Amino acid sequence: MQGFRIALISLLLIMSPASRGYANQVDLRILYVNDFHGFAEPYQPAGSQAALGGIACLAGAVDRARQKQPSLLLAAGDMIQGNVSANLFQGQSFVDVMNAMKFDAMVVGNHEFDFGPEVLKERMAQANFPFLGANVEGLPSLKPYVIKDLQGIKIAIVGVVTRDTLTTHPRNLGDLKFITPESALRKYLPELKGQADIIVVVSHCGYPEDRELADKIPGLDVIVGGHTHTKLLQPQVVGHTIIVQAWEHAKALGVLDLQVKDGKIVKFQGALQEINPAADRADLQTQEIVARYAGRIGPIIHQVIGETRLDLDAPRVRTGETNLGDFIADVMRQTAGADAAIINSGAIKAGIARGKIEVQDVYTALPYDNYLVAVRLTGAQLKEALEHGVSHLEKASHGFPQVSGLTFTYSRSAPVGSRVKDVTVDGRPLDLNKEYAVATIDFLAAGGSGYTVFGDALKKAGDYANLGGALTSGALTYNDPGTWLRDLVMDAIQARKTIAPKVDGRSQAVD
Amino acid sequence: MAAAKRWTDMRVYVNRKPVDLAPGMQVKHALIHAGQMAAIEAGLKVYDERGHELGLDGALADGRKIFVK
Repeated sequence: MQGFRIALISLLLIMSPASRGYANQVDLRILYVNDFHGFAEPYQPAGSQAALGGIACLAGAVDRARQKQPSLLLAAGDMIQGNVSANLFQGQSFVDVMNAMKFDAMVVGNHEFDFGPEVLKERMAQANFPFLGANVEGLPSLKPYVIKDLQGIKIAIVGVVTRDTLTTHPRNLGDLKFITPESALRKYLPELKGQADIIVVVSHCGYPEDRELADKIPGLDVIVGGHTHTKLLQPQVVGHTIIVQAWEHAKALGVLDLQVKDGKIVKFQGALQEINPAADRADLQTQEIVARYAGRIGPIIHQVIGETRLDLDAPRVRTGETNLGDFIADVMRQTAGADAAIINSGAIKAGIARGKIEVQDVYTALPYDNYLVAVRLTGAQLKEALEHGVSHLEKASHGFPQVSGLTFTYSRSAPVGSRVKDVTVDGRPLDLNKEYAVATIDFLAAGGSGYTVFGDALKKAGDYANLGGALTSGALTYNDPGTWLRDLVMDAIQARKTIAPKVDGRSQAVD
Repeated sequence: MAAAKRWTDMRVYVNRKPVDLAPGMQVKHALIHAGQMAAIEAGLKVYDERGHELGLDGALADGRKIFVK
């Protein structure tokens, strides 16, 4: 009789799909976030009536979610770079926060590369969780996937990142190669199937791309997405793949509950939980880390980076040439290797008094997160840009151009559109038919402040090429979304130690 | 010198109107180009073509359609 019982139990075990020993039904929870971009504190988004987010409040929400159900906590990239406070510490502050929150895995986003490869390696070494990037070749510390066990269920977490990462400055990527996310997933899927019950892709490719991956590659159970900052209020399904994404900037926590039976997902439900700092209780440990780094900002922003022998003038920046405008435009032109540079006065918010220059001074002068681009304009388009810049002189508008590499005269009394008189570039009269590389900021390149001519020039863009250090196209000669203009200005001040820019007659009113 | 990598240009659509952008530009750049930032400041939001709200720093790609409403 005992022998019969042993044989019966053995037979049941053999017949069970669970040589891993599945329980009848297992409830799993996946918590997910994406695109924090270093936003530690709550903030009031454009058009919003209230502050949202705050990493300590989000951490509190994670704690409460975990208490109800054992969970995995995943991040879909672009976590550690972006916001001023995170950038000042090159992402170190946010990895400390993520360690405290006990993340299980994170895929690198395109902006994780913005601090350069050495800093990325430091952040990966600092992290208590794996950075994933199955389609990135040449960085051994970046894992393709990790296997986690949650309540007896093996979960493979594989990370893929957009090839848009190649739009970051090539110096940040070194010899790294990016194969397509689809190729990487197809490569690893067979071995993942052999090791895990559930396949979760952590993807920094964008929601439309995640849908394509789900459509093309059977066998992906869940895609946790990022990059497009999509607020998926409910999980979406393509084929048999569940797709989720949790908006941005620590403003939401994604919660995906899976019911797993015999190693397969049989049911799911999920939602985004918006983080309300007025109502959500903060996690004290995370709050302490945020406060600690906030306290360290003081010495950093008061760090002296150089000296100016002259007052750097901003109050008059909207009505005429200033030495501060000249200096900033010069940095832009020289960095981009352009023929000329134009920045609108509205980007320059404060001057810097004669004497020592602190980090804070540059942040106050250039508070916006603008980056440098250079666009190929014809001489006629360049003149049109200058015409626009002097079209609202009566109102001291934010469009007045601070320039480098060119000079121009203008008449205040002439009709709008016909105010610009003599223009020279590099000392030579402007040739209306010749093309010039003109450095500017992304805001103007997108047509901000009414500078539509830059956007019009981009319409001529054909293929882009990465040539010797800059992503170029027929119209684009420089593009570095990963470096803020103020950091370039600070680098320039630090390199020169002492500056004394003088107004040298680049723009002159003739009446 | 590294071998040249080829990229396509990026044309997106804001409320069905075409907007040409440089690679790496985001939702906010498309809105600036389309003159829609004032609408956002006034409380309107931006959505993808499937009706999902987007963050202003969200990435774009060639052919994307976004709507301000």
